[in-house]
Amino acid sequence: MNDDNTPRRELPPERPPGPFPSTPPTPQSGDRDGEPGLTGRQRLAKAVWPPRVTRAQLIVALLLFVLGLGLAIQVRSTSENSALRGARQEDLVRILDELDDRTKRLEDEKRKLSGQRTELENSSDQAEEARKQTREKTAQLGVLAGTVAAEGPGIRMTINDRAGTTDSDTLLDAVQELRAAGAEAMQINGVRVVAGSYFTDSGGGVNVDGHRIDAPYRFEVIGKPADLEPALNIPGGVVQTLKNKQATVDVTRSEKITVDALRQPKRPDYARSSSR
Amino acid sequence: MIAVLGLVVGVVAGLVVRPVVPMAVEPYLPIAVVAALDAVFGGLRAMLDGIFDDKVFVVSFLSNVVVAALIVFLGDKLGVGAQLSTGVVVVLGIRIFSNAAAIRRHVFRA
Repeated sequence: MNDDNTPRRELPPERPPGPFPSTPPTPQSGDRDGEPGLTGRQRLAKAVWPPRVTRAQLIVALLLFVLGLGLAIQVRSTSENSALRGARQEDLVRILDELDDRTKRLEDEKRKLSGQRTELENSSDQAEEARKQTREKTAQLGVLAGTVAAEGPGIRMTINDRAGTTDSDTLLDAVQELRAAGAEAMQINGVRVVAGSYFTDSGGGVNVDGHRIDAPYRFEVIGKPADLEPALNIPGGVVQTLKNKQATVDVTRSEKITVDALRQPKRPDYARSSSR
Repeated sequence: MIAVLGLVVGVVAGLVVRPVVPMAVEPYLPIAVVAALDAVFGGLRAMLDGIFDDKVFVVSFLSNVVVAALIVFLGDKLGVGAQLSTGVVVVLGIRIFSNAAAIRRHVFRA
């Protein structure tokens, strides 16, 4: 195809003498030239066999070679590549427009979906956060209500009372004193002491929430040891009062106190949460 | 015979070598191929008529190709490339058919 340009110049002078219908399809039936008396079929056979190397044959062979080449290239390019290769400019523009539209639609969809995803993630994060806070709050309230075990720094106090002079008032005083000093969880002889605990005298011992306990009374208290111990030892305080009553009191600080006595949570009969 | 060989060699070369067609020529290749086919059928018919002349064949072949490519080029420039190339293909197709009919009359006498 590249030799298109050269023959174009020699085209005009060569055209007039060529009156034969290779291009113009004027129907010609009779033989005007060549060997008369031969039929077309005979001429074809003669041209094909035997092969002769003439100028005409070579030139025609060259042109047919070019034709075959072009044919093969074209067939190959249309068959092996997508439809885009042979498409015209207008078609390509249209296809491009369609693709743009589709891209835009898909982009929109993607934006919408990622927005939804963010929303869902946020809400699940929030739910997770709320659950976490609820768990923490449950644990804190459980420590206060005595429904869960607690551990932490604190003090141990043992009241040894051979005379039996320690009564419920004395123990209640000690508990109040400890609470005032910031005690967060405590138990006496394996009975958890919470906000609603009560102390009553019962013979030689004391009833705490209906559980009878006897001397020696062992307090396990979680709180700041540096606050709790002085609160007990102040002049006129719990320790001095007990000593005056012939009881021996032993207070030790500890970095790890375990309050593992539990209390069953009591469902209130009348009071209901007023929040919400 | 040598001409037929040339065609076969050309097809084989096109399939085997996989030449890369320059982008500028690409749109004109199909039309040029059809135009060349038309020239070849015309030449074959002329040969059967006994009036084949190699000079005429060469000129008609090349001019067909060039004119077809030119028409498509012009059509593309005028914005009617698709329609014009359809027209060229239709015209060349009609000519190929009429030439083929003449060839058929010669070869099969029918």
